[in-house]
Amino acid sequence: MDMLLMGLCMSVFGIAVSAIAFSAAARPTSSAPPAQPELPAVKPEAPARFFADRAVPAIPPQPHVPVEVLLQQIETHIRLEQAAAESFVAFPTQALLHSKTASPFMN
Amino acid sequence: MVHELLNGLSPAEVDLVLALGTRMTVPTGASLFRLGDPADRLFLTERGRIRLTLPMQVRGHEEEILIEEKTPGQTVGWSALIPPYRFTLSASAPIETEVIALPREALQRYFETVPAVGYKVTSNLALVVGHRLQLLQAMWLREMQRSVELRSA
Repeated sequence: MDMLLMGLCMSVFGIAVSAIAFSAAARPTSSAPPAQPELPAVKPEAPARFFADRAVPAIPPQPHVPVEVLLQQIETHIRLEQAAAESFVAFPTQALLHSKTASPFMN
Repeated sequence: MVHELLNGLSPAEVDLVLALGTRMTVPTGASLFRLGDPADRLFLTERGRIRLTLPMQVRGHEEEILIEEKTPGQTVGWSALIPPYRFTLSASAPIETEVIALPREALQRYFETVPAVGYKVTSNLALVVGHRLQLLQAMWLREMQRSVELRSA
């Protein structure tokens, strides 16, 4: 009888240990992620630009000129550019195509 | 007055073509046509000046910006002979100007009757259109060059 009770106790104890081990193995992982080794800090890249890999330098603000003066500057610019284009069409050279303008609108 | 569009025609042929048109006086500051208008007539400049302009936004306002200026002998409004027959610029007279307006239908009928004249006139028209294209192409490239230089600065 003693042997029977001893065997029964051992069985119950074994089942209990097995159940604890199983529940530990089957438990979902904790919500807090395990600590990761810290990576070296990487400087974030500049935001991607469409068809541009460099920032366009800002055009310095122009002093506030009256609109009439601005329109006159635009017209003078177009006349000068047209003259340059006429010269190019009459005798096409790279130099004429790329010559600097004296237009006050651009300088 | 020698008109670029009528180069190579005999004096009699020039008279016949001009007889198809109507002489018009455009007062100072008046509009000859507007961008997008139906183009049913082309104009030969006889006297004065015609400004061809396009609208541009300047400080939030629409302003007419000069594209080209036409002087006596030059042709204005070749869109009248090229589909979709809509003006692609606006035209106005900065000073009192006289033009001869040639209706498309009358010109086309005449060209069908006398194809040799039609050939010469359309050849001259091709020169006018081609010259405008070459000018704007060179102007466009110069502006692009400046943009590239600004970007590389």
